[in-house]
Amino acid sequence: MNIQQRLLTFVTRSNWVLLASVSLLGFVATSPSFARGLIFGGLIVTINFHLLARTLKNALRPSRLASPNVVLVKYYIRFIISGVIIFFLIRQQVVNPIGLFLGLSVVVVSITLATMVELKKLIFKEAV
Amino acid sequence: MEALQFFIACVTAAGFGIAIAAFGCGLGQGMGLKAAVEGIARNPESSGKVTVTMLIGLAMIESLCIYALVVSLILIYAHPQAAAIAGLLG
Repeated sequence: MNIQQRLLTFVTRSNWVLLASVSLLGFVATSPSFARGLIFGGLIVTINFHLLARTLKNALRPSRLASPNVVLVKYYIRFIISGVIIFFLIRQQVVNPIGLFLGLSVVVVSITLATMVELKKLIFKEAV
Repeated sequence: MEALQFFIACVTAAGFGIAIAAFGCGLGQGMGLKAAVEGIARNPESSGKVTVTMLIGLAMIESLCIYALVVSLILIYAHPQAAAIAGLLG
């Protein structure tokens, strides 16, 4: 498996693992509103990431290229839906804003973790 | 009156914040996408590798824009110290 594929697999899996652990931790250690923020934030970015992956894979496969308009429409629909959900969550005070902010960081943390794991592998390989 | 000015400042900051974030993220995503598409056009076999690398980059950039959106919405609808500041300003 090449480094790109490894990174994607790691990020895809760790997104769900991080979401589950952060949700559990939120329910155990913080207020319900904060925990709801973590769960909703994590779910929004994780589902967004999967949909983005599917759209890009369909769009950039040379054997069956998708129409640019379809890609654009899908992208905007996804982004608008995310925006509207976040708007209602904050407007109706369903979630704690700081919890939501932390929940939205799940994908960023996954990518950072994946990079650190690859970097560690690279350094140890260099040392050997 | 000063409380109203505080509210106007919050709304202006939210507007500018999301505008600047959208501008930067749009530029970043556009540049990444341009380079990826050019790479795939030159070497169609590299499509898989380029797509995966770009996907991770785009997810990272997109989350920055979502952060800015959240901060802007917090400034308008859920400012944690809004009540206290409004009370101080009268």
